[in-house]
Amino acid sequence: MSTTNHPALTPVPDPGPQTTATTAPRRSLRSLFARHTYLFALGLALALLVANLVNQPNFGATSQLANLAPLGIAAMASVPSIMSGRGGIDLSISPLMTLSALLYATQLHPIGLGGYVALPVLMVTGALVGTLTGLLIVVGRLQPIVVTLAMFFVLTGVDLKLAPSPTTVSGTWMANFAGSMGPVPGGLVALAIPVAVWLLITRLTTYGSLLRSVGGNDVTAFTSGVPVGAVRVLAYAMGGAMAAVGGLVLIGLASTAEAGTSSAYTLIAIAAVALGGIPLQGGGGGIANALAGAAAIYLLQSLLGVLQVSQTWLQVIYGALLISAVLFGAIAARELKAGR
Amino acid sequence: MATHPLTAEPDTVLAVDGLRKHFGPTVALRNAGLRLLPGEVHALVGENGSGKSTLVKILSGVHRPDVGSMEVGGRPFAPRMPAQALRAGIDTVFQEVLGVENRTVLDNLWLGADGLLRPVSRDAGRRAKAEKILTALLVTPPPLDIPFGALQLSDRQTCCITRSLLRDPKVLILDEATSALDYDTRTRLFSLLKERAAQGMSIVLITHRMDEIREIADRVTVLRSGETVATLDADWDHDEMIRLMTGGAHLVQDTVRVAADAADTAERPVVQRVRGSRLRPGGAPCDAVFRQGEIVGLAGLEGHGQDEFLRLLLGHGDTEGVVRIDGDREHRVTDPRRARDLGIAYVPRDRRGESILPWFSILDNFAIATAGQDVRRGLLSGRSAEKRFGHYVERLNIKYGRTSDAITTLSGGNQQKVVIARWLASQPKVLLLNDPTRGIDVGAKRDLYRLLRELSRLGLTVVMLSSEVDEHVELMDRVLVFREGSLAAELAHEELSRERLVDAFFGGAAVTA
Repeated sequence: MSTTNHPALTPVPDPGPQTTATTAPRRSLRSLFARHTYLFALGLALALLVANLVNQPNFGATSQLANLAPLGIAAMASVPSIMSGRGGIDLSISPLMTLSALLYATQLHPIGLGGYVALPVLMVTGALVGTLTGLLIVVGRLQPIVVTLAMFFVLTGVDLKLAPSPTTVSGTWMANFAGSMGPVPGGLVALAIPVAVWLLITRLTTYGSLLRSVGGNDVTAFTSGVPVGAVRVLAYAMGGAMAAVGGLVLIGLASTAEAGTSSAYTLIAIAAVALGGIPLQGGGGGIANALAGAAAIYLLQSLLGVLQVSQTWLQVIYGALLISAVLFGAIAARELKAGR
Repeated sequence: MATHPLTAEPDTVLAVDGLRKHFGPTVALRNAGLRLLPGEVHALVGENGSGKSTLVKILSGVHRPDVGSMEVGGRPFAPRMPAQALRAGIDTVFQEVLGVENRTVLDNLWLGADGLLRPVSRDAGRRAKAEKILTALLVTPPPLDIPFGALQLSDRQTCCITRSLLRDPKVLILDEATSALDYDTRTRLFSLLKERAAQGMSIVLITHRMDEIREIADRVTVLRSGETVATLDADWDHDEMIRLMTGGAHLVQDTVRVAADAADTAERPVVQRVRGSRLRPGGAPCDAVFRQGEIVGLAGLEGHGQDEFLRLLLGHGDTEGVVRIDGDREHRVTDPRRARDLGIAYVPRDRRGESILPWFSILDNFAIATAGQDVRRGLLSGRSAEKRFGHYVERLNIKYGRTSDAITTLSGGNQQKVVIARWLASQPKVLLLNDPTRGIDVGAKRDLYRLLRELSRLGLTVVMLSSEVDEHVELMDRVLVFREGSLAAELAHEELSRERLVDAFFGGAAVTA
């Protein structure tokens, strides 16, 4: 068993004699990156944070965290569906966030459900929308990208119907998300809610292991007796519940709710997830990746804004960054495979 | 010959009657039945396309039958998904090696044991239980915390079997699940299975290896064309079994070896030579020659260097001493591309992953490597490809509907024949085959042997890696035996026998080269 034996399925050229003396430290560093896929984005985010602090003397943590929160939450909400594999992705996260904001502004706030009571109500609503999306995909055996694109249009339409023009809701409890809750920055609290949901479900229950297994190889999971369909539906439901929190932060930040934000986070959330090192084929990564990716993108936006770089270049830089992140991840993953 | 009884005995674990299943126009099962007693090892045999896999997939809840009845322990059994079959105590290890590559070995071993939203169990007993079975099978089990994807094929299959054993099912179905195991692991698995059977577990074993059936099975059920034709007791007769499987076709004349005359082959020109190449860093150098019109087998226990040697002939690895000889000119085989240009064709082992294009038609799969020959006035001519393909259909005995059907509509054996036809069309001088009969049925094997023999008579040199001892004994003019990463022995056809060969695997035979 211990003799070198090339797996029959992958004929690779003979790697030749390996001199371990020089390659060992580099290999271990690379395999560290391969094992902790968020490290690239985290390193990038830290470097950008330093650059921001140097260039912006009054870089206030509270307001920055609040501004980061919507993108961070949108990215985290995208994670479960992507991890569930077989093309899983949820393009309807962004309009769902807006739906949550609008439901709050036009329905709950007027009837006096203004405070934090609204939070669980809207999270359950988000989870139900996510469940519907998941059921369409699983029961209908439809392509996730098509179903969630359809949901994107439907929810955008519902958003417009709910509030054809921006609705102002100032002075509500939600404003705390943009400020502080006691000594704690409100943005941090907002980010902590999806993180808590994620950790509770994936760490304290068997669901986390099942989600990774289904995303990794759904045929194996299915024949081993894992309820693959239920795992997937629950992934979309989790994403929906997380997205609902994001909508409330939007209200806190802008004191208005408008349908115009429906598509604001769709692509950038997926960019954050990919930058964070989550493989889009599923099975890998976690919420830390999404947070690191979102932080990197947000801090880049912020830095380029301060340096007065034109918007045109911003987009190009996003693209270039994304490609380098994916390349980096691929190289690290290859190293992990070769370093068996 | 004993037929299966019409009424279930009181202690039948699993009773299956009159199963029928069709996929579109194809009838996979016509009238399949099975009686499984507690604590028996029951082999299920039949050629490819006889319905074994469909039967297994119905029992495991992957497919649902059109008609027919199934009972487990006297109760109706109609699983709609694998989870339900597992709950009823029917556990299947499938032919395809199934694992989640990015999860750890331990996670894979206990996959499916948990509910959807249960508290995470910190059950240290799981690790110990897994280690116990893995140690029994592998002696030195792989670390349980490495990713499943880092395991080699044989260990992956062992883990899939372990996963099922850990659940301690009432019925364990092994669908060709021992094909990738090396000899020692298989031996240890069989003794473990006997132990479990003695404790009351019923085991359904599907295998193409007669020696495995002889070794372990208490009874054998034979399927032919989707029908159960007989259930035999352990004292079954080999010829009768073959007759039942093939429906009375006369196979005896094919089993007579038609090896070339040794004295004759020694005179023939050498077409490829290996001199002083090492299969692995630090391994002993290998020397070998291959003559025109020979069929040379590469044998050995799994992972002993025969794979590397075959790849060497193709231009991978230490190719310093590898040459193709054409008349009095020698060309070094530096890389696979050069090998192809020098008339060396290669049929890989993993049919699905490396040779066929599953979404392409039969004809496209055939023509892909030699499409240049079909260019008429600058355009690809389908008719030309069709004509060329027709040339091979009869010689290879390829059975298909239309050439425009997807290749995946064919049985494994016929897919393999199409792949071989693809490379024959490039008119190679040397044909390298990597375990081409793995997982294909007896009839298709015989066709392939006949074909290779005929090709060698026409001057083609065939070098074939095979994991089956019988294949070497029946087919080869010469067998090179590999051990511990180097060429250990060479057996000429007159000294070939099962015993000599297996002896050589374990280092017994003298080097005659």
